[in-house]
Amino acid sequence: MGVSLSKLTEKTDIWPWLLLAPLGVYMLIFFVVPLADVAIMSFVEPKVSFANYQKVLTGALYQRVFLNTFLTAAFVTLCCLAVGYPLAYLMAHSKPRTAMLILLLVTMSFWTSFLVRTYAWMVLLGNNGPLIAFLQMIGIEQPPQLLFTRFSSTLAMVHILAPYMIMNIYSVMKKIDPALIRSAESLGAKGWSLFRHVYLPLTAPGIANGSVLVFVICLGFYVTPVLLGSPREQMIAGLIGHQVDEFLAFGLGSAMAMVLLVITLVILTIYHRRFGLDKLWG
Amino acid sequence: MTSHLQLSDITKTYGHFTALDNVSLSVDKGEFVTFLGPSGSGKTTTLMIIAGFEKASGGSVKVGGQSISQLAPHERNIGIVFQNYALFPHKTAVENVYFPLQMRGVGRAQGLRQAEDMLSLVGLKGFGHRHPKELSGGQQQRVALARALVFEPSLLLLDEPLGALDKNLREQMQIEIKRIQRSLGVTTIFVTHDQSEAMSMSDRIVVFEKGRIEQAAAPLDIYHRPQTSFVAAFIGESNLIPATITNAAARTAENPTLGGLDYSGTEVLSNGQKVTLLVRPEHIKLSRNPIEGRRNVRMTVETIVNYGDNALVIGRAGDLPMRVRVLGADVVIIKEGEECCVSWMRDSVFVITR
Amino acid sequence: MNTFMRWTGFIVVLFIAAPLVIVVPMSFSNASSLQFPPPGYWLGYYRAYFTDMDWLVPTWNSILIATATTVLTMLLVVPATFALVRHKFRGKGIADVMMLMPLAVPHIVMAVGYYSYFGDLGLVHSHFGVILAHTCLSVPIAFLVLSANLKGFDRNLERAAQSLGAGPAKTFIHITLPILRPGLIISSLFAFIQSFDETVVAIFISGRDAETLPRKMFDSIRQEADPVIAVISTLLFFIVLIGIAAPYFASALRSRAPKPSRPAGAH
Repeated sequence: MGVSLSKLTEKTDIWPWLLLAPLGVYMLIFFVVPLADVAIMSFVEPKVSFANYQKVLTGALYQRVFLNTFLTAAFVTLCCLAVGYPLAYLMAHSKPRTAMLILLLVTMSFWTSFLVRTYAWMVLLGNNGPLIAFLQMIGIEQPPQLLFTRFSSTLAMVHILAPYMIMNIYSVMKKIDPALIRSAESLGAKGWSLFRHVYLPLTAPGIANGSVLVFVICLGFYVTPVLLGSPREQMIAGLIGHQVDEFLAFGLGSAMAMVLLVITLVILTIYHRRFGLDKLWG
Repeated sequence: MTSHLQLSDITKTYGHFTALDNVSLSVDKGEFVTFLGPSGSGKTTTLMIIAGFEKASGGSVKVGGQSISQLAPHERNIGIVFQNYALFPHKTAVENVYFPLQMRGVGRAQGLRQAEDMLSLVGLKGFGHRHPKELSGGQQQRVALARALVFEPSLLLLDEPLGALDKNLREQMQIEIKRIQRSLGVTTIFVTHDQSEAMSMSDRIVVFEKGRIEQAAAPLDIYHRPQTSFVAAFIGESNLIPATITNAAARTAENPTLGGLDYSGTEVLSNGQKVTLLVRPEHIKLSRNPIEGRRNVRMTVETIVNYGDNALVIGRAGDLPMRVRVLGADVVIIKEGEECCVSWMRDSVFVITR
Repeated sequence: MNTFMRWTGFIVVLFIAAPLVIVVPMSFSNASSLQFPPPGYWLGYYRAYFTDMDWLVPTWNSILIATATTVLTMLLVVPATFALVRHKFRGKGIADVMMLMPLAVPHIVMAVGYYSYFGDLGLVHSHFGVILAHTCLSVPIAFLVLSANLKGFDRNLERAAQSLGAGPAKTFIHITLPILRPGLIISSLFAFIQSFDETVVAIFISGRDAETLPRKMFDSIRQEADPVIAVISTLLFFIVLIGIAAPYFASALRSRAPKPSRPAGAH
C-alpha cells in the first residue's frame, strides 16, 4: 500500500524527462515538423490564402471524392463486420483445433503484406482469372469488367481490413463467460432473443473497436484503391497523392490532407474520450 | 544482549497523510520479531524503510550501531523474502541462490557449491537445476528463503511470505522457518496480518495500527495483558466492557448494565476513572443457574456457532454483546433464544486504560 | 442462429484463404501475364527474381532500411517506455497519447509532409530519409508491445535483486533485461515488419536510389503486373507462415521433451 502511494506522490524528478528526451526531440523534428509543414503548405502554397480550403470544401470534384471516400469507408466497415462477426463466432465456439487453424489463417492474412493481398485479388478478378472463367462456365457470355472497378477495390479492402475486425471481436467473444449464456438460457432467452439481448451487447465493445479501426484506416487508404479501383472513382488518399506527385500541387494536396487528418482525429478523439486510444491497437 | 536493529522516531508522510508516526523499536541479535497489524497500519512501510526501498521522512535506522539510513538497498546487506517470492524466472533455483554471492564477487564454482549447501539446509537437496515455474509454491518459498540467507545478511525480512500458501503448507512452513532461523541465529523481522502465525512463531510481537506501534511484547503478554483496546480486540477474541472504577483499593468497578465487577492486575488507578475491562471468551463459564460465590450475569443466547471440539456462544447481557467459548460437549445444555448465566473469576478480568 | 453463424463463418474462411493461397501456383506459372489457372508451370520467374538487380536491389534496400529503423526505434523507445510505464509525472497522459499519434495520422498525410520537408532538407531519395520517416511510424507499435510487457513486469524482482546486493546497473543487466527479452524481441520484430511493409511513405520519398521492395512492387503492379510479384508474394507468404508457425512447433517440441519428474510430497 505504501508503495503505490509513494509512486503517486513521488517528487517530480528529472529521470523520466531524461529518458523521454531523445524520443521527444526526435518526434518533434521528424514527426511534428513535417506534419506542421503540411498544415503550413495548405495555407501558403502557392500564395497565402484560404483558397485551397475553399476549393477543397466547395469544389464539386473534391466534394464528390470526400463523399465517395466516406461511403466506401462505411460500406467496407459494414462488410468487415458482416464477414468478421460470424468468423469470430466460429473461432470462439469451435473445438480448440479448429479455432487454432482459423486463428492461424487470420493471423497469416494479417501479416501478409497488403501489396501481396492486393496482387492476389488482381489475379482472382482479372480478365483471365478464375472468377471470370467461372462466370463464363455458368453461361454468362459477356462477364462484366471486375478489375479496376469500385467492386474490386472494395472487395480487396474488405479482405485486407477484415482481420482487424475479426481480432477485435474474437478477443471480446473469447472472454465471455459461458456461464453467462447458460444462465440467460435458464432464464428463458433462446435463439434470436438470446443473441439480441445477451450475446450482441456483450460483444459490442469488440464491434466498436473493430469498426473504428477499419473505418479510420479505410478513410486514409492509398495503395489498394489506387491499384484496384476505378480511376474515375478515386478516394481521397489517392487524389492527394495524385495532386502532389503528378501536378506538384502541394497546397491543394496539403489542404485535402489536413481535412482528412482532422476528420480522422475527430473520430479518434471521440473514441479516445470513451474508451482510451491504447485499447484500440492493443 | 545489545540491540542489533534500532529504529528511532521513524516518520513517513505522503503529502498530508501520515503513514508512520514516530515509530521506535529495538530488536536484539537473533530475535524473531513479528510486525502484526491490519493492512495499511504501517507494518510493510516500516519494513520497506528498513530495507531501503522507501525513504523515511524522519528518524533513523541503525544496524549493529551503524546508521544505514543513507545506504542504498544493495549496500545494506539485508535479506528479504517477498510475498510472491520474486524468484528470478530466467535462473534455476541454484542460480537464484547463487545470485547474491555472484554480486559479492564469489567465483562461480564455489558460489554454486555454497548455494547447493544452502538449498540442502532448506530441504531442497537435488532441486537446484529446476526453474522456479517447475517448483511448487512451498518449494519456491524455500528457494526464496535460501537466497535471502546465503550471503549471511545482518537481518532477515519476511514480507507476508506465507500468504500465498494453503493452510496445511502454511503451518508446515511456519515450523520450517522457525527451525532455519534458530539454526542460523539470524535476526528476523516477519510481517503478517495473521495473528495465529504471529503467536506461534515470534519471540516478540509488535502490533501496528494507524502508523503507530500499539504494543511490543512477547506473544503471551500481548494476549493476556493487552495495553490498548485495539490490541485486545485485534488479538484473539475478546469481550470489552466499559466500566468506571468504584474502589481502586479493592479493585472493583461498575458497568451500568452488569453492575459491580472485580478486576485483577497491579495498575495504579483512581476512583471514578473510566476504563475498559477485558474478559476473554474462553475464560467465561456458562451455566443454567447462577454459580455460588461468583458474580453472575444473565445472558440471552442469540447464536451458537459449533466448531466441533468447541463452540462459540454469542449472546447479549442487557445491551452488552457477549461471546463465550465453551467445550463442544458442554454446548448441549443451552439452546438459541434461551437465557442462561455467565460468570468469571476475578483473575480473568484485565483493565485496559487506553 | 448457431448453424447460420457456422456456415457463414465457413464461407468467410474461404474468402480469407483464397487470395493467400492463389499466389503460390501463380509464382510457378509460365504465363507472361495474369492468368489463372496457369497454362503451365516452370521456375523461370524465381530465377528472374534472384538474378534481376531491379528486384534484388529494392529487396536489399528494404532489409537495410528495416534493420536500421528497428535499431533506431528501439534505441528511442526503450528508455521512453521505461519513463512512461515506471514514472508518474505531470504531462504523462499527453505523452502517452503523443506516443500513439503516428498511428492515428493517415500515412498519405505523412507522405506529403515528408515529401516536402525532406525535399527541403535534401533527404528524399536517400536511405537515411526513409529510415528517419519509418522510425516515426514504428515508434508507436514498438511502444505498445513493450509497454504491455513492462506493465506486467514484477518490480519485486528488481527489489529482490537490490536487496541481494545488485546495484541499479547490475540489476538492469542481470535481471530486468533478460526477463524483458521476449518483449524486446517481439517489439523489434514489429518495428522491422512495419518498416519492411510500409508502402505509402516509401512511394513518395524513397526515389530510385533508395527504392524499397513495396515501392518496387507497387510500381510493378501498376505498370506491368510483372509475374515476379507472385514469386515475391509467395516468398513473403512463406516467411510469414514460418514466422507464425515456428513458435508453435518450438513449444510442441519442448513439451515433448522429457521433464524431470517431481517427487510427491516434497514441498
